[in-house]
Amino acid sequence: MSGRVAIERLVFVLFAAFMLSVPWSVPALVSPFWVSVITEILIWSLFAASVNLLFGYVGLLSFGQALYFGFGMYGVGIGIDQLHLSFWPAFGLGIAAAVAMALVSGIFAVRLTWHYFAIITVVFSLIFYFLAVRMKPLTGGDDGINFSMPPTFTFGKSVWSFTDATFQYFFILATVALCFYLMHRVIRSPLGKAFVAIRDNDIRASLIGVNVYQTRLVAFVMAGFLAGVAGALFAFFGRYASATYMFYQVSGEGVVWAIVGGAGTLFGPVIGTTLFIVIREVVSTHWEHHSLIVGVMAILVVILAPKGLVGLWRAALSQFERDEPAAPPPQALRAEP
Amino acid sequence: MMDTLLLLALNGLIWGLIIALIALGLSIIFGLLDVINIAHGDFFMVGTVLAWFTLEATGNFWLGFIVAPLIGFVLGALIQRIVIQPIRGVAALSIVATFGLSLILQESVRIAFGPVPRRILPPITGTIPLFGIEYDIYRIFAAVLSVAALVAFFLFLQHTKVGTWMRAVRHDRDTAIAMGIPAQRIYILTFGIGFALAAFGGAVAAPITTVDFRGGVDILPVCFMAVIIGGLGNLPGTAAAAVLLAFFEGIIQSVADPTIARIASLVLMSGVLLLRPQGLFKGHVR
Repeated sequence: MSGRVAIERLVFVLFAAFMLSVPWSVPALVSPFWVSVITEILIWSLFAASVNLLFGYVGLLSFGQALYFGFGMYGVGIGIDQLHLSFWPAFGLGIAAAVAMALVSGIFAVRLTWHYFAIITVVFSLIFYFLAVRMKPLTGGDDGINFSMPPTFTFGKSVWSFTDATFQYFFILATVALCFYLMHRVIRSPLGKAFVAIRDNDIRASLIGVNVYQTRLVAFVMAGFLAGVAGALFAFFGRYASATYMFYQVSGEGVVWAIVGGAGTLFGPVIGTTLFIVIREVVSTHWEHHSLIVGVMAILVVILAPKGLVGLWRAALSQFERDEPAAPPPQALRAEP
Repeated sequence: MMDTLLLLALNGLIWGLIIALIALGLSIIFGLLDVINIAHGDFFMVGTVLAWFTLEATGNFWLGFIVAPLIGFVLGALIQRIVIQPIRGVAALSIVATFGLSLILQESVRIAFGPVPRRILPPITGTIPLFGIEYDIYRIFAAVLSVAALVAFFLFLQHTKVGTWMRAVRHDRDTAIAMGIPAQRIYILTFGIGFALAAFGGAVAAPITTVDFRGGVDILPVCFMAVIIGGLGNLPGTAAAAVLLAFFEGIIQSVADPTIARIASLVLMSGVLLLRPQGLFKGHVR
């Protein structure tokens, strides 16, 4: 096992331990407010991951992932508010709506690549954004629809619902973690290898027998699924659904988070999302014009770390590994195997 | 009924001419620098705000037509040197960088100008009879200005040394550099001109629309549509597509509300993308 893998495993274990302790450690160390910030970061990380699955692994830059996020959100919102569904059917409806939309738009969109793909995804998302704004009785337009939360599990008398902040946190953490695990499995599978083959050279991929169109469509639907789950979770988390989350700027933020964190890496989107949301939360309490800082940060990261923050970290690690044999370390360190 | 149709069609036509100016800037920036400029709508917005500040400071609206593109050009040149130059060539990074730029421009304007949208009164008021309806004189004037700027831009591109250099760099960067064309200066110039065109469009549009720090957000998708429908790299096609799109939206607005008109033009756009990704107009691509 190389040093890099060992270090990254250690970081991951520490990260996982921290995530499991959040509902107790964060209120004790900072304030309960930050638990909800971390919950929000989890949801948006999943959204950024959906951009990353398409761009980082298949090489398709989607500027319209907010559409599937919005469908996930509205599936839950309309399901609970107007169809009076309980928790799980509403969750299912949100995800199904997002996946169905991704399938239908993907059939058309993945015929195109690169700039044309970016434009057609943004065009599709704008069409449904304007439709959502216009169909006010159904969607509430920009104001959105508010709903009250049905319980998640009911066992006899004990009721588990999102009104309990700790339950809400763990439910969202578990769902997001499951999605990331699924993504990890897909990337490791032959299908994931086909993704990367298409990203690197689609003609070569088709020559070795990969069905490029079909594989791209599968990736597009999977990305729609991830964005849909994120949207459904966000609807549960905020208890509302709104057309504003379908606008192209939301898609743009997902792209920025994924690329700043490191496209083509599993955890890059998490890091990018965390960076931007933490800056927003920290600065906005002190200074109204926090967008300035966010803008400067985005520019600095792409200039100083074109492979994203994960790329920067890996470069630093391999630098460290290469330096080690060159300069003989002090005797005390040599004692380690 | 006929009158409303005519009025909205004319409004659409004139708005399309202004969009053509902005979209041309977007297209040359994309064509020469491979930069997908998310901040381009904000360049337009900065133009409207510069027109407002010029009017406030000097009481003279006309100065805005000079001040807005000039400051726009300087800002564009600086942005190319500081932000775009270090990431040149990587389109994905250009999206992130110009997204950051867009936030910076919007927030700076919000600080300097305030969050409340304002209106500028047109410097010339009154109406003239046109095809049987009374039409706003300023809009006619705006159309004339836009056409003049479009013609000037194409003349510059076709008939000056620098314009030829720009076309050469867009056509084949490496050969152009080998022939001794100072590509780096052309990049700075191109970004400056792109910003200046959008800012000039903003100054022209300021009395027609509102001056608002979020004024660029709605403009951006329309400009991208014009660039794509016109055909990437096809500059006259881009200008024509901008006019057609806005004209089309204007006509639909006479029978439906603006949102439906926008949806209709987006659906049209999807059709063009899927059936003719090289753009509506035949001819030399690149």
